[in-house]
Amino acid sequence: MTRRGYLIKRVLQAIFSLWIIATILFFLFRMGLPDPTAALVTEGLNAEQRAAVRAQFGLEEPLWRQYVLFLTNAVQGEFGTSFSYRAPVSEIVWERLGNTMILMLAAIVLAYAIGVPLGAWLSWRRGSRTDTAGIFFGLMFRSAPMFWTGMIAILIFGVGLSLFPTSGMRTLPYDADGFLDKIFTLDFLWHAALPVLIVALYYLGSPLLIMRNTMLEVYGEDFIEMARAKGLPERDILYKHAARNALLPVVTQLAVTIGLAAGGQVVVEVVFSWPGLGREILNAVRTSDFPLAQASFLIMAAFVITLNLLVDILYTTLDPRVSFR
Amino acid sequence: MTLPPFLRAAMGPLRIMMQDRLAVIGMCVLGLIIAMALFAPLLSTHDPRHINEIEDGSVLSRGAAGWELQESLGPLALNDAAHRDGISLIVGRGGMGWSREGAGAWSALDLPTEADLHAVALSPEGRAIVVGDGGVILLQDGADWQPVPAPEANLRGVVWLDGARALLVGTNEEILLLDASSGDLSTVDSPVGRDFPLQSVALDVDGTALIVGERGLAIRYDPEDGSATLERLGSSRDLNHIHISEGGAALVVGERGTLLRRESADSDWSADPAPDTRAMRAGWIGDDGAALAAGRNGLIMEWDGSAWNIAPTQSERHLRALLVVGDEMLALGSDRFVTRLAPPSREHWFGTDHLGRDLFSQNVHGSQIALLVGFLGATLVVLIGTNVGLIAGYYRGRTETVLMRTVDVMYGIPFEPFALILVLLFQPSLTIVILAVSLLTWRTVARLIRSQVLSLRERPFVKAARVAGASDLRIMYLHIFPNVLPLVFLELAIIVGVSIIAEATLSFLGLGPPQAISWGGILHDARLSGAWRTAWWWNLPPGIFIMTTVLSVFFISRSLEVVANPRLRARQ
Repeated sequence: MTRRGYLIKRVLQAIFSLWIIATILFFLFRMGLPDPTAALVTEGLNAEQRAAVRAQFGLEEPLWRQYVLFLTNAVQGEFGTSFSYRAPVSEIVWERLGNTMILMLAAIVLAYAIGVPLGAWLSWRRGSRTDTAGIFFGLMFRSAPMFWTGMIAILIFGVGLSLFPTSGMRTLPYDADGFLDKIFTLDFLWHAALPVLIVALYYLGSPLLIMRNTMLEVYGEDFIEMARAKGLPERDILYKHAARNALLPVVTQLAVTIGLAAGGQVVVEVVFSWPGLGREILNAVRTSDFPLAQASFLIMAAFVITLNLLVDILYTTLDPRVSFR
Repeated sequence: MTLPPFLRAAMGPLRIMMQDRLAVIGMCVLGLIIAMALFAPLLSTHDPRHINEIEDGSVLSRGAAGWELQESLGPLALNDAAHRDGISLIVGRGGMGWSREGAGAWSALDLPTEADLHAVALSPEGRAIVVGDGGVILLQDGADWQPVPAPEANLRGVVWLDGARALLVGTNEEILLLDASSGDLSTVDSPVGRDFPLQSVALDVDGTALIVGERGLAIRYDPEDGSATLERLGSSRDLNHIHISEGGAALVVGERGTLLRRESADSDWSADPAPDTRAMRAGWIGDDGAALAAGRNGLIMEWDGSAWNIAPTQSERHLRALLVVGDEMLALGSDRFVTRLAPPSREHWFGTDHLGRDLFSQNVHGSQIALLVGFLGATLVVLIGTNVGLIAGYYRGRTETVLMRTVDVMYGIPFEPFALILVLLFQPSLTIVILAVSLLTWRTVARLIRSQVLSLRERPFVKAARVAGASDLRIMYLHIFPNVLPLVFLELAIIVGVSIIAEATLSFLGLGPPQAISWGGILHDARLSGAWRTAWWWNLPPGIFIMTTVLSVFFISRSLEVVANPRLRARQ
């Protein structure tokens, strides 16, 4: 299959996946919440507003009409108005998505930047105490729930030593023109340090262990034997010959991780009061903000699928051996 | 003995696993945690949901910053205290008594009774009298205590009228006059006579005694003519304690924050507005107008000359008495109080939470939900994933396309948000938690097993089986399946860990099964209460338990990886 054909097929698949998820989401919501406006009488929707919401989601019409309306709205990016914010859902969701992505990408980059070289080095010292300790700590941070490590980090660095702020993205009040203006400040870095570190520590384990194991496999290959026979220094064999060839599985794992990054880590956002999309979904669930919950989830899924798609395409470009199946 | 082939095949991997030190440690730790879950009711020291209370002879002392907790005087509550000429006495429940000279250390009195003692008084000559439940009256006689025979009466208050006579009051409106030299008791007729409980008595500056009791009752007893007359203090609430200073200032405290104050012997009683409406049990007023009142839950109010203020206290103990000696101010208690946020002690190994529940027991019980969800969820995941992978890999074609597209769709769904939505739409329960964990996680297993099966189905032994006429099911489950078994176990181990973390996460977000005790739920409570920033014993153990459990599972899975991938074995 040609590269072009592969691309078209992958894009169609992604659209198909998104459609299925949207459908599942629609029926889940109609099953669980037949009348979403009824759940929020406490929030003070008056009869008129309720009627408007019902008309917007077509709740008076037969189920298939509602479904078509839902899909049309989703394609047009029309997600309605949030019950609790009284603002268009899409505006809220895009801003929160940005906050989530900046946190997750920073953490993933940090984790892989440390994990990959460390894993290679551990494989070189295989069987030693350092190796065992490395595996132990890598697995330990992978086993510790992030909300707990986050709480402990806040206790030590936030409350105890007062080194870092314990919540939010910026010191309040602040004004920023747009997203970039908000994040390109020292204040942001200072706020992001703890949450990024906690997520990075969690992700650190997988590049570390995958790199180490793949390196162990690569050491048995003939070309390493060859390099050794040539009398190359061990360091060169490790980093120039073995490490490069061991990168593929790590990159695969990186792709999967980035692909799911938009899903975020709800608990980290909750513990550090990070205004991300995951925390927004939780709030929407708690306040029964049905349009916000539905749209947040759909946009999050769309983003995950798009990221997966991009990563796949990039992957085939990077490694010509991966055939366009 | 002939073992089935798949069992015999399982023995080899087990041997490999035993060579890995980390895996052996993992298996031991996991075994311990499983044992903990199985024997949780036996291991836990308390009922994890029980709100624990203890009684304590608590002493709080007024420091610069507030009332600070001092070393306890025994395990029983302290009820009353008296002081005169450098001698201080305290009496409490269960016949407990303490004395000290000056500012020395408290020493226990050897009182010949087990009854609950409620009041103590010192005569101008320094002779002590103690009264309590069951008509107990003890008169000090040098170093000894002489019991005075008395009718059954629950005595609450006592005061010396002079060096020889004491007035005693009880809960059935008893007013008794004791002649200390002869030991004779005579009854004084109350002007009410309706069995109202009398709580406290104090000597006024004119030599009369003022008695207070239930429903604002106040009776003045005049020893000159032996008459008892009703007096109005201006309140109809239950009055608990009266104190009159030597100069004639007086304070009466009672239920619902009742504070009645008299500035001097000549002035009228006035009801002060109280900053809190809980019951006040003890009051003290000095000649200079300074006043204190103490009550339940560590409530202490101080009069600053114009208003009552709640003083900062270190504890929530129920206070019953005040003792003021010179500059030193002590508040004494405490009846059974809820042991909130107690740090680890011999009684509560991991301390208690904000409701006084034992955290060690909660942590022990938490292992049950964690392992249940962990293993049940993982089994479900592996069951679905393995079958999907087997079928997709074996049949290929249209079946494979449909199944693997489904897996692709699954990869588009982020886990935590999906679980949140599930819980929003359906009420939180154990089933929903397990479902949320297993509905998405099988995607990885299906992909891995399929890729393995794809290569296995081309192997000669599969072709041979097919030629021999074996059915598809037989080939799939008897020939191919045993070969992917190590991979299945590896995934099982990893997903047990993932499931435990997922359950903890949902519980932490407050979406776990309600009423269930889980590690994530303990942390949820800690975060919600806000006390987690100080109560380290609350949030440290559950996390360590989660981490240890998952870590031990991961250690096991790492050695399974060596089993599943022989190439790793050769290099190590």
